[in-house]
Amino acid sequence: MTSVAKVFDPGTVLLAKHAQHVVLVHFPIALFLAGVAFDWAGRWTRRKALAEAAYYNLLIAAASTLPVIATGLLAWQFQLEGQRLKGILLLHLVTGSASSVLVCAVWWQHFRARRQGAALPGYVRMVEGVAVVAVALTGHVGGFLSGVSGG
Amino acid sequence: MRRGVWILEMAAAVVVAAALLVSGSRGFAASVEQAQTSSAEVKIDNFSFGPAALTVAAGTTVTWTNRDDIPHTVVSEDKVLKSKVLDTDEKFSFTFTKPGTYGYFCSIHPKMTGKVVVQ
Repeated sequence: MTSVAKVFDPGTVLLAKHAQHVVLVHFPIALFLAGVAFDWAGRWTRRKALAEAAYYNLLIAAASTLPVIATGLLAWQFQLEGQRLKGILLLHLVTGSASSVLVCAVWWQHFRARRQGAALPGYVRMVEGVAVVAVALTGHVGGFLSGVSGG
Repeated sequence: MRRGVWILEMAAAVVVAAALLVSGSRGFAASVEQAQTSSAEVKIDNFSFGPAALTVAAGTTVTWTNRDDIPHTVVSEDKVLKSKVLDTDEKFSFTFTKPGTYGYFCSIHPKMTGKVVVQ
């Protein structure tokens, strides 16, 4: 029953119980936070290269939310057999879903502005701020759940 | 005189035998009761099961109590053991009727493992 993780064994990595969610979730978090930082820095310094970096970070952040959501839902269905969530697990699901929507919404606003060749609406920065808080809260709750932070 | 001593010796022997019989039957009754109501406890704390390995007699009810701030589960790979998600201070009990070794883990934190050996 007790299994010792075999390093460099693809089977261990791919078939580890819901470990993929815990690994993959770092990509949208890091990319989104970096994207927002580049966006704000680009706006502050008026450098186009920073705005470009922001866009591509946000694009990949939005794309990487999909496997994160999928692996999270699979973990819920397979590891917990889809049982009704409560407490901190429910909070993680709610904040994670909200974060994913916000990350994709922020990217969509950037995408639309680029396509139309227009400046970003002012409220987007506020949405970015809210999204950063949501992502941070989700990450904190997830870290608490996994025992990384505060466990 | 000798007859009186013999009677006294016999009486003493009867008293001792009766005392042994009574105490023995009480002990037997107590052991039966213990077997019928035997239970054991495993505490879940700080991301570990304590004790991680537990040996019990068949018929024992084991109760897991989550003393952690984090939700945990108690699940065996063959699903013989399968608790719901246990929040802080919630309990899960299972009565082991068949001898064997029952390995289990927390499905939220698969590194957390334990086993119950039923004799």
